[in-house]
Amino acid sequence: MNTRVRMLKDVLWALALAGFVAGVFRLWFGLGATTNLSDAVPWGLWKILNMVAGVAISTSGFSMGFLVYVLGLERYRPLMKPAILVAFLGYGCSCLALLFDIGLPWRFWHPFLMWNEHSFLFEVFWCVTLYFTVTAIELAPTVFEKLKAEKATRLLHRITFWVVIVGISLSSLHHSSLGSLFLVTPQRLHPLWYSALLPLLFILSAMGGGLMFLVLVRILHAHWYDRKAVFGPTQLERELILVRSRSLADSVNAREVGRDMPMLTGVARVATGILSLYLALEIYHLGHAEAWSALLAGTWESWLFGTELLITAVIPILLVWLPAFRSSPTALTVAALSASAGLLLNRVDVGIFGYFRSAGEVYFPSLAEWALSLGVVAAAALVFLAFVEHAAVFSPPPGTNAVRRGVDVSFDSLSRVWHTALSSGPERTTLIAVLVVPLAWACMYPPYSSTHPAEVREASRMDVTGERLRLDGDRGGVLTEFPHAACQKRLGSDSSCVSCHHMSLPGDTTTPCARCHRHMTEETLIFDHAYHIQAVADSLGLEGARGSNQTCVSCHAAESARTTATAKACVECHGEWTKVYAEGSKDLARATSYLEAMHGTCLACHEDEAEKRNRPELRECSTCHTSLTPLGAPGPVLARRQ
Amino acid sequence: MNIDAWIEFAEGPLFGITFLVLVLGLGRQILLQLYFLGVKKGRRLKRVPWKDITRETLGWAVPIRHIEPGTGLFSTSSYVMHVGLLVIPVFLVDHVVLWESFLGIGLPAIGKGTADILTLLTIGCGLLLLGLRIFRARHRLVSRPSDYVLLLLVLLPFLSGYLASHPAVNPCPWNVMMLTHVLSGELLFVVTPFTKLAHVVLFFFDRISAVHWQLRPGAGDRVAEALYGEEVKI
Repeated sequence: MNTRVRMLKDVLWALALAGFVAGVFRLWFGLGATTNLSDAVPWGLWKILNMVAGVAISTSGFSMGFLVYVLGLERYRPLMKPAILVAFLGYGCSCLALLFDIGLPWRFWHPFLMWNEHSFLFEVFWCVTLYFTVTAIELAPTVFEKLKAEKATRLLHRITFWVVIVGISLSSLHHSSLGSLFLVTPQRLHPLWYSALLPLLFILSAMGGGLMFLVLVRILHAHWYDRKAVFGPTQLERELILVRSRSLADSVNAREVGRDMPMLTGVARVATGILSLYLALEIYHLGHAEAWSALLAGTWESWLFGTELLITAVIPILLVWLPAFRSSPTALTVAALSASAGLLLNRVDVGIFGYFRSAGEVYFPSLAEWALSLGVVAAAALVFLAFVEHAAVFSPPPGTNAVRRGVDVSFDSLSRVWHTALSSGPERTTLIAVLVVPLAWACMYPPYSSTHPAEVREASRMDVTGERLRLDGDRGGVLTEFPHAACQKRLGSDSSCVSCHHMSLPGDTTTPCARCHRHMTEETLIFDHAYHIQAVADSLGLEGARGSNQTCVSCHAAESARTTATAKACVECHGEWTKVYAEGSKDLARATSYLEAMHGTCLACHEDEAEKRNRPELRECSTCHTSLTPLGAPGPVLARRQ
Repeated sequence: MNIDAWIEFAEGPLFGITFLVLVLGLGRQILLQLYFLGVKKGRRLKRVPWKDITRETLGWAVPIRHIEPGTGLFSTSSYVMHVGLLVIPVFLVDHVVLWESFLGIGLPAIGKGTADILTLLTIGCGLLLLGLRIFRARHRLVSRPSDYVLLLLVLLPFLSGYLASHPAVNPCPWNVMMLTHVLSGELLFVVTPFTKLAHVVLFFFDRISAVHWQLRPGAGDRVAEALYGEEVKI
């Protein structure tokens, strides 16, 4: 294995492992905690980039099948196997990413049994599932050949033609219906991308862009494994051949480009042919939908649309058809790269960017979304490389055997210690895992990187009269009007303070609730340890750093572990300052969650009074949370917010 | 961030991450050993003398018969230090509380007095080993720079932990010492899987590969080369 391939694999492994961690967090903590999706932008990276764009870019399986099996263009047959592999992996990663994107992943099988025949997605689901199965069957001979299962291979070869035909029909069905999917949002999708022609535009761009992606894959494979096949001899080798050339054939040989170039140029011409049709349709759409003004408006959408059209169609068409670039491998690489990137950009535009204006908010994927999205693709690329190295996917260069790869375990002959050089597969990969997984964990673990501050906001509008308090601790919109003065009066005026203000900070008489109950749903440690060390040292007259160190045993028992649980209770020192509301609660260092504190304080009394006075509404949420609808009133009980 | 916030960070997220590195890293070492064992021995795994290996591995738990003349002091102090290294981090009463809150596992705890004595013994033996490695030629010759650094690194959490829990001898503020203790322990977590400290798990594989972990990979070949010349097959 050469160094470049190894480095490529290292990067792919790192991405795949980070994606794995992101996937675990997605299942563990849910979509809300791991993604930046919202009600306004519910379709994000996984659905659009991995599914819609991923499926589009791996169409080469069926378009190559059409060229080779239906049109009988045998010269393209060497690209058939890679095309099927690309299709299989592309669809595989789409399905995998989608599994993480749906709300309840374990219900992925529902559309098999519970049919909703009015939904485009229902058709997409069936076509994608069936086509994935078809690609698996198409790919099976390659695997069986490797396993030397001849009978199965022969059987599969016999049905190949029909499988390919089924594949072509399924593909053409769902590519257009993926486009149809976006037809249901005419008010939301930006007019530059919204078009009645979306189904047709989708299938044409997918066919053209998909073939260009296959060309790109072949070129990349050549770049990493078999350079000569596409790029021809290197400059040095050319000069050597010219120096040594004794015949005309040799000097022709020296100028020659790679042996696969004619085939790739042929495919690229078919692809750009389709892309020119796509370009023509896009121009027709612009004229027909009177979207010219939108294109020339100078908004960021118009620039984006222009760029997209340029790299999807214009640049590839020029590079493939202009005589100056026609036989250049570099120009073909740029064309293939540009068309593939353009296809991806198109799908992301239609699925994400096109909605920003109407949604009124900008969506940027979270780190976990990026990690899973790229991780799935990286994993597919690793499988691709494994196939390339172990099975005959690309025709091997003449006269060489396929790359031999084995685990190189060597033992030190005297000590019998295994050589731990990091050259071989498992050692290197596991090392990457040990480094990447904790790093990804640190970056993505939702509790470490919570974007929503759980800090409680203090109650507002406590005016001079102390009439009404307005509470909305988590800024969630559920508003509570607390009649402070009325409640105080009801409970017995001045003597009633301590029934709510059960504990005050030193020097304070009625400390507000949020000063201690600082977290909405979790308890808060309100004890200031550093302050106490110094304060106790001062009061005992101990001086200096060593003095304050002596204070441990003032609160902690000497023999047990020094924790909050074993420390002296606050009231033992602060008895006269602290009104203890709940008798027997020793641990005043921890304040309960804001939610628990507020409900606990009010609810006990409210429930008693509801019973005593036969006023059941005192128990209802809407009695205090004035923004909620009362029970029995029309409208949803909890859904209406201010 | 003030120093208490740092302690909170070091005891929370940082502890989780470094512990993950430790677990994954050591797990990796075990998996690799098993994997290479499978690759090397293949179908003959059954012929590995498991019983003898187990007996010999356990035999090293009380290595009296392995002591050679002249290495008694080194061996004894190393042995005592290892007892402390294994017992204190797991069974100290303050750590037992932490394990319970972090992993939910309750463990028996050793008394504070015992722990203090063992900690001091560990530190003392560690320093003695350091001295032997520096001043005695016999031990200096087989010492690599990493042996000194790792030894100091291992002793650091013990020293800072002892000082943090004994304010009478602690020269700096308590929270500074506590932070030092936590961070040095976590540094050890990260370093263990990638250095010779990995023998905490690799020890159990030593008898299988029939040699000790201290030798560099390839060391045997080099010795053979020096003794018998390059071409000799052993």
